[in-house]
Amino acid sequence: MAYARPCGDFKTSYAQDMALLDIRLYRAGFWVLLAALALAPWILGRWIYLLNDIAIFAIGATGLSLVMGFAGQISLGHAAFMAVGAYTSWFVTSQLRLPFGVALPVSALVAFAVGAVVGLPSLRIKGLYLAIATLAFQFLVEYLIVQTVSGMGGTPVPPMDLFGVPVNTEVRFWYLAAAVWVLGAVFATNLTRTRVGLALMAVRDRDYAAQVLGVNLLYYKTLAFALGAAYAGVAGSLFAHYNRVIGAEHFSLAQSIDFVAMLVIGGLGSVWGPHLGAAFVRILTQLLKMWAPVLGALLPVLGRATTSVHDIVFGVVLIAFLIWEPGGLATLLRKLKRYVDLWPFPH
Amino acid sequence: MTPQFILEGVVVGLAVGSIYALIAVGFTVLYKSTKILNLAHGELVLFGGYLAIAVTSAAGFLPVPAAFALGVAVTLLAAAALGFAVERAVMRPLFGQPLLSVIIVTLALGYVIRGVMVGIWSGETRTFPPVIPAAVVRVAGVPVSLVGVWSAAAAALLLVLFSLFFRYTRWGIAMRAAANEQLTASTLGVSLKRVFAYAWAFAAVAGAVGGILLGLWLGVNFALAAVGLKALAAVILGGLDSIPGAILGGLLVGVTETVLGGYIDAHVKLWGQPLHGFKEVTAYLVILLALMVRPYGLFGTEHIERL
Repeated sequence: MAYARPCGDFKTSYAQDMALLDIRLYRAGFWVLLAALALAPWILGRWIYLLNDIAIFAIGATGLSLVMGFAGQISLGHAAFMAVGAYTSWFVTSQLRLPFGVALPVSALVAFAVGAVVGLPSLRIKGLYLAIATLAFQFLVEYLIVQTVSGMGGTPVPPMDLFGVPVNTEVRFWYLAAAVWVLGAVFATNLTRTRVGLALMAVRDRDYAAQVLGVNLLYYKTLAFALGAAYAGVAGSLFAHYNRVIGAEHFSLAQSIDFVAMLVIGGLGSVWGPHLGAAFVRILTQLLKMWAPVLGALLPVLGRATTSVHDIVFGVVLIAFLIWEPGGLATLLRKLKRYVDLWPFPH
Repeated sequence: MTPQFILEGVVVGLAVGSIYALIAVGFTVLYKSTKILNLAHGELVLFGGYLAIAVTSAAGFLPVPAAFALGVAVTLLAAAALGFAVERAVMRPLFGQPLLSVIIVTLALGYVIRGVMVGIWSGETRTFPPVIPAAVVRVAGVPVSLVGVWSAAAAALLLVLFSLFFRYTRWGIAMRAAANEQLTASTLGVSLKRVFAYAWAFAAVAGAVGGILLGLWLGVNFALAAVGLKALAAVILGGLDSIPGAILGGLLVGVTETVLGGYIDAHVKLWGQPLHGFKEVTAYLVILLALMVRPYGLFGTEHIERL
C-alpha cells in the first residue's frame, strides 16, 4: 500500500518505472484534481472568472517555462508572442471569417513560426545580450500593433464558437480553457522527459558542453523558442476571444515581466512551477485590484500611493522569493510534502 | 535627406546622445564591477529627475539658481544613499546567485521604486522652474536650445570627471581591479563588499544626473524610464563591459535616432500612413542588427568558452 513513497516501493516493469504518477496516492490525487477542475464552476460560483484568467496565463507561462526553465534562454518578450497569437486569431476569425476551431491551431502555428525566427539569434547572442534582443522584439511588436492594427485603442474580436456551440458564458469558456490547459500541461510535462527535454536541459546547464556531446544547438534552441511561442500563441488566442478586445496594453513589456515573475515565483525548471506561479500572480493581481480602493478609504494617509500598490507589492514579493526561496512555490511545496511524509519525526 | 537635415540631426543627436552616454556609463560601471545588469536603471533616472524637481520647487523661497543647486545636491546625496541601501538590502543576500535571479531582482526593484514614485508624485509631466533661459543658440550653424547645449556640456564634463576618478583615485582603481578579476582583487585586499556598494552608489548617481539633465531639457514624466532602457541599448551596442564603448554607443544611439528615426518619422509612409513614433524603436532595431554582426557589442570582451 504505497501511499507516500515507502522504502519498499518496488517497481517490476519499465512501464511502472517510467510512469508519471508512479504511486497510488498520486494517481488518486490526479483524478481528484481533474474532478475538481470539472466541478470548479459549482465550487467557485461566479468566481470562476478568476480561474479562466489563471488558465490563460498558466498556458502562456508553461511556454515560457520551456524557454527559460528548461532551455535556460532568457526571454523578455513573451507577451509579444502572446500578441502574435491574439492578432492571428483576430485576423482568422474577423477578417477571414473562419471559426474559432480553425483560429486556435492557426495561432499556435503562426506563433511557432515567429518563435523560431526570433529564436534564431539565440545561437549567436547569449545571456544578457539575448535578453536585450528579446526586449527589442517586444518593443517592435508593441510598435507594430499601435501602428498597423489597433492604434492606441483596442481591436474588437468576434465572439467564439466551437463546432457550432457558442462559447459565450464564463462556464463554457472554462471547460474549453481547462481542456487546453490540462492537455498543454501534460504535453509539456512529458516533453521534459523525452529526448527533446533532456537535450534542452543539457543546453541550459552548459550549451557548449551539450554541443560537444552531440546536441544540435541551432535545432534545440530554436525549438525551445518556437514551442514556448506556440504556447503563448494559444494563450493569446484564448485571451483575445475571452476578453473580446485586444490592444497594445494587453501585451506590453509589463505583461512580459509578469510572465517572468510567474515563473520565478512558481519555480524555474519545475513542472508545477508555471501553474502555481500563474495562479499566485493572477490571484494577487485581482486581490490588489479589489483591495486597493478599500485600503485607500481606510487609510487616507496613503493617498495616491494606493494606485501603485500593485507594482510595489509585486516587486516586494518577487524580491522576497528570490532572496528566501529561489526555488519558488514548487520547492516550498516539496518541503511541505517532505515534512508531512516524515511527521512526527524531524528527519 | 538634405545635408542640412543631417547636420541638424547630428548636432541634436550628439546632445541627446551625451546624456544617454552618461546614463550608459552608470550601467557599465555597475556591470564591470559586479557583473549585474541593472534593469532598474530607468527608475533611477526617473528618481533623479523627480526628486530634483520636487526639492527645487519646495525651495521656492530661494532665488532660482540657489534652489536648483540645492535640488541637485540633495538629489545626488539621496541617489547615493539609495544605491548603498539597494546594495545592502537586496543585492548582497543574492551574491553568487545565478544570473537570471539577479536580473529579475533588479526588474522587481524597478517595480518597487517606480510604484513608490507614482504614489508620491503621480504620473504627470513635471518641469523645472526656468533655471536656464529658454534661448536658442547656433552650434555649427544649427539652432539648438540653450538647455540642450548646457546638458551636453555637463554630461561631457561629468564623463571626464568619471574617467579621472577611475584612473587616479584609490577607490576608482580598486573598482577597476575588482572588475578585472574579482578573486585576485579580493586576495590583494580590495573589499568586494565596499566595491559593490560604491558601484551601486555610483550607478545611482550617474542615473540621477542623467535624469536631472533630461528633466531640464524635456521635463520629467514616466516615459523617462524608457530612456533608461535606451541607455541599455547604448550599452549593449558598445559592449557591456567597455566604458568607451558605452560613451560611443550613447552618442551613436542619439545620432541614429535623431537622423534616421527623425527622417522616417517625417517622410516615410507605410500604406499611406505616416510612421509616427518610429524614433522610439530605431535604437532597438539598430542594436538588433549590430548584435547579429557582433554578438558582444562593438567593444565588449568576447567571452571565450572552455570546457
